Amino acid sequence: MSRFFAGGSDSDSESSSEDEQINKVSQPTIQQVVVYSDDEDVKRVVRSQKEKRYEELTNIIKSIRNHRKIKDIGSILSSFEDFTRAYTKAQPVIIKEEKGIIPRFVIRSIVELEDFINVTWEDKDGRKNMSKNNGKSLGTLRQKFRKYIKDFESEMKKFRENPDQGEYEDDEEDKAVEQDSDSEVEVPKAVSFKKEVTVKEIKPKVAKPDDGESDDSMDWGSDSDTSSSSEDEDPTDLRKKFLKKTTEAEKDEPEKAREKKPKLTRPRKEVVAEPEDDDEGGWETVPKYGASEKPKMFAKDAEIDIHIVLSKLNEVMSNRGKKKTDRKLQIEFLHELKTIAEQHNLGAALAVKIRFNIVSAIFDYNLKISEPMKIEYWSKLLEVMADLMKLLLVNLNDIKLSESITDETEEYETKPYRLRGCVLTAVERLDDEFIKLLKECDPHSNDYVERLKDEVTVTKLIEQVLKYVEVQGTPLEICRVYLRKIDHLYYKFDPNVLKKKKGQFENRTSVDEMEKLCHFIYANDNTDRLRTRAILSHIFHHALHDNWFQARDLVLMSHLQETIQHSDPSTQILYNRMMANLGLCAFRQGNIKDAHQCLIELMMTTKPKELLAQGLLPQRQHERSVEQEKVEKQRQMPFHMHINLELLECVYLVSAMLLEIPYMAAHEFDARRRMISKTFYQQLRSSERQSLVGPPESMREHVVAASKAMRHGEWKACSEFIVNKKMNTKVWDLFYEADRVREMLVKFIKEESLRTYLFTYSNVYGSISVPYLSEMYDLPKLKVHSIISKMIINEELMASLDDPTETVVMHRSEPSRLQALSMQLADKITNLVDANERIFEAKQPNFFQRNQGGYNRQNQGGNQGYNRQQNFNQNKRQGQQRNRMQKNNYHQQQQQQQQTIEEKLE
Amino acid sequence: MDKLQINHIQCDASVFLKMAKHCHEESQTSLDLPQGAILGMLDGTRLEITHCFPYPNNMTESSDDEEYQWAMMRRLRVVNVDMFHVGWYQSASNTKFLTETLLESQFNYQTCISESVVIVYDSDRSIRGVMPLKAYRLSEQAIKMYKEGAQTFKALQELGVGFEKLVVEIPIHIKSSSLTNILLLDMYETLPQEKGSQYLDLGTVGVLEKQIRGMMSRTDDLIQETVKFNRYQYSCVRQEHEKQRQLNYLSLENSARVAQGQKALSGDDIKNQFREISPPPRRISLILSEQINFISKEINQICSQSIAKLILTEPLQTSKEEKK
Repeated sequence: MSRFFAGGSDSDSESSSEDEQINKVSQPTIQQVVVYSDDEDVKRVVRSQKEKRYEELTNIIKSIRNHRKIKDIGSILSSFEDFTRAYTKAQPVIIKEEKGIIPRFVIRSIVELEDFINVTWEDKDGRKNMSKNNGKSLGTLRQKFRKYIKDFESEMKKFRENPDQGEYEDDEEDKAVEQDSDSEVEVPKAVSFKKEVTVKEIKPKVAKPDDGESDDSMDWGSDSDTSSSSEDEDPTDLRKKFLKKTTEAEKDEPEKAREKKPKLTRPRKEVVAEPEDDDEGGWETVPKYGASEKPKMFAKDAEIDIHIVLSKLNEVMSNRGKKKTDRKLQIEFLHELKTIAEQHNLGAALAVKIRFNIVSAIFDYNLKISEPMKIEYWSKLLEVMADLMKLLLVNLNDIKLSESITDETEEYETKPYRLRGCVLTAVERLDDEFIKLLKECDPHSNDYVERLKDEVTVTKLIEQVLKYVEVQGTPLEICRVYLRKIDHLYYKFDPNVLKKKKGQFENRTSVDEMEKLCHFIYANDNTDRLRTRAILSHIFHHALHDNWFQARDLVLMSHLQETIQHSDPSTQILYNRMMANLGLCAFRQGNIKDAHQCLIELMMTTKPKELLAQGLLPQRQHERSVEQEKVEKQRQMPFHMHINLELLECVYLVSAMLLEIPYMAAHEFDARRRMISKTFYQQLRSSERQSLVGPPESMREHVVAASKAMRHGEWKACSEFIVNKKMNTKVWDLFYEADRVREMLVKFIKEESLRTYLFTYSNVYGSISVPYLSEMYDLPKLKVHSIISKMIINEELMASLDDPTETVVMHRSEPSRLQALSMQLADKITNLVDANERIFEAKQPNFFQRNQGGYNRQNQGGNQGYNRQQNFNQNKRQGQQRNRMQKNNYHQQQQQQQQTIEEKLE
Repeated sequence: MDKLQINHIQCDASVFLKMAKHCHEESQTSLDLPQGAILGMLDGTRLEITHCFPYPNNMTESSDDEEYQWAMMRRLRVVNVDMFHVGWYQSASNTKFLTETLLESQFNYQTCISESVVIVYDSDRSIRGVMPLKAYRLSEQAIKMYKEGAQTFKALQELGVGFEKLVVEIPIHIKSSSLTNILLLDMYETLPQEKGSQYLDLGTVGVLEKQIRGMMSRTDDLIQETVKFNRYQYSCVRQEHEKQRQLNYLSLENSARVAQGQKALSGDDIKNQFREISPPPRRISLILSEQINFISKEINQICSQSIAKLILTEPLQTSKEEKK
């Protein structure tokens, strides 16, 4: 059944889509953000060429500058050569992007280099003191430089005339490196200029936010990089100050831009939002967002009302999903907002909304879906969620939550409130997180127990959501929440159920509860998946409580066996779990055959562990990739839901033993005997092959030893191997009514041993007394009688019951073992003779020619009782075989004689 | 190779016990067949076996094996034991001994040391209380067959190798020293009196079953071989037909060409076109037949013993009934 796992990453994609759903629910603007980032990607591709080239150039320029400082002319020369090369490479880009205008930083470096060369050339003393190498280089450099410079003369002139202003005015749209070069020019004026630029940049953003912002954010990224690296070179105070400010401003700008977006969408709120906007408008005073400082909420004297809080909330939430946002801070911020809202009594709707956002922010905290969230956030999440549910339940009829409500149609002020959002998805996500957390813990540690305690809270939450959804939600939503509840319910054993069956308990049990939930889902679900899962869980629950017939009927009615291959892995796992449990249930109820049937498919593969998602098999070489392993890990069941594998295997082996051993005894001589259980057979075989069999240690050895005992009909030894102290602690005590199961087992062992005994040894008996058998097998006479009758009816035992003497009279219609074997041998030899004859026929034409018909074809028809050795010499072997057959027949006769004599002797 | 005749083997009792001990112990624990070397000398037509030693169990390389044998023999020489290598012994149960490998190694032995024999220890027989040792030598034909590497039906036919002529059994006499005999006689007095019940134990059912099972598996194999041969025959016939058809066609065409005054085409292409199909090796079926032969001999022996016992018991039975 491992094909289940080949299915791929269904569950993975599922959870991620759920994730998205949540995003959509609580934060509509997130969609836009996604679009941005896409845009960014596209732009980046276009620009990368330019950026690369420019970076190259700046690096070279930097190194030239450094060498200049230490007057390493040789290095300058080589760097200059690099520079010319890099520049030619960059030329097409420059022409394309800058319309042929040479970037300023290039010009500047050239001008600086020229100055430097001139100065050093003029400094004759210095030149004399130079090393020989440097002097030589200086000459070449000067020559080369002069030649090269010719192309740039006009630009250089322009630059020299106006080293600061240049074409700044036109550069508005100029990109990162351009600004970078700006920042490197040590001109105080740049400060004021920069301001201009930023202001200008904001404007187009307001007009069309998408493009503008993505461009900007892009630029700043590279900007801060280069500027910080250049910081150490020119340690002028002024410059430092300048730099710092620009970066600060830059960081602020996206925020501002975002702030303005709400303004666009909800222009009517602009007036209210104005003061805070103003507050942040001056970019110099705004504290850095995302730094350690806490963001300022509202101006002290601002009048707090729903709209302010809402817009603030939107502002915070619009940062969701961005790389730069500090998620931790966001959560804190939202908490603060919550307290403010509570202080000012802004109504339940807003409170709900804020809590919603907190929940989703906490969910967001983890970037990877596969990893569980931190414990502290988990507890916080539980708290907030409980809070939220309390609020919702209090205002059960006043607040309408729905995914279909858009931002525009939300209503916070008057009842009934309308909000966008869905508690169901939130609680589903919460549940998933809970399971992830559990899986992360070591199941044998205290942590796990601690975590497991949270299940009460989680189920309580689900219960609350259920209450809420039952009033507000659509049937589909109710189904979903029911299924969540079922997921927490189906694997738990409720002893009250069994008590109720005995009439000791009156109230509702978990089975009744399951019945109710599942029936609702059966009736109202129209996605097949929920119904399938509900049925599987339902069967599981029934099987857990020994409702064998209900469980079996459900399985048979659902026809899931046929379609389960096409469902998603997690459902298939559930199916496997269900089957395992059904098998256990059948075993407890004494339906050995059914138990075997249920379990055989799981156990055949030898990896039930994987099929039940209770752990991965140790990795063999490249059996699965890392991703696959991750996906499989995600599917694992948390430990407390595991089905005991040893119990499962033991039940399987014992039921296989009870079926297989009598069968083996009955069909010992069949040439084509099929195996009932291959796994069991293999165990038996491997034990038989051992030269020395010690006393059994493991569960398997116990079962094998028991099987061997049973083969000889020794029920006492067999049952002692199956039911003993070791096996009790290992296996049987895991059942709820262990004693009943053990009693049943011993009973079955007796019966099957009796059958095996009769099969194996009936040929040595002429008749057996029934009382003797009943004494031997410690069974009531009637039971023995019924077993034997059944065997006679099924034509398994050739015998008749003689009532007055209470004996079983054997009929010797079956051949003895030796006779059966001889018959088989005779068959085989006939085949051999046929084959030989075919060889002979092929030779026939030649034969005729040689022997002139000394051979009578007629004789060949019969197989036995003729002698034609003298006829042909080639086929001596054949004759030999024939002799042998006659010999065998002779043996049979002998054997029969012997037996009759033996009987006489007795 | 001179005509060497070995009429019987005289085996020392201690050697017999040693072989039995080794085979009995190792055949139960390890999967490999226990083997060993036999030392002794040829005296006219009688081969005397005076000593033996087992081969180590975990032999991996043949060179080590040989070294071991030489070292062993040298050391035995020091203690004044016969050091002529006259063969080897092997344990094999249920008359499974006759295999390709056994025949080949015996062939090697016999070509190196012409007097060498292989002694087979049959553990099943020893359990039944029957003399478990049997000595065999390859027949002259078989040696020739191995020498020429004959595999095909024709070659075997020419050599005249039949399944019953593959190996020759040589009777073994066990001879114990006088001292041993005295000891045995002495012990016989102290032993408790046998009641004589075990002599009548037929004990044949299990053994017969085993033999028949073995025979069945051999027969299966033999059928397979036969079918293989049959298939070969058919393909030969089909090829021959096809060849004939093409040749006929060619001769027709040639006659037409001759009529038109053209040169006749040669049929060489067609003859070259059909390559002779290699016949299946027959040696396997030969060996299988020999195995079956051995098994049936064995069965015969057991049965005749059993029948003798039955005849013995019959008067006892009738007398008992008469008394009643």
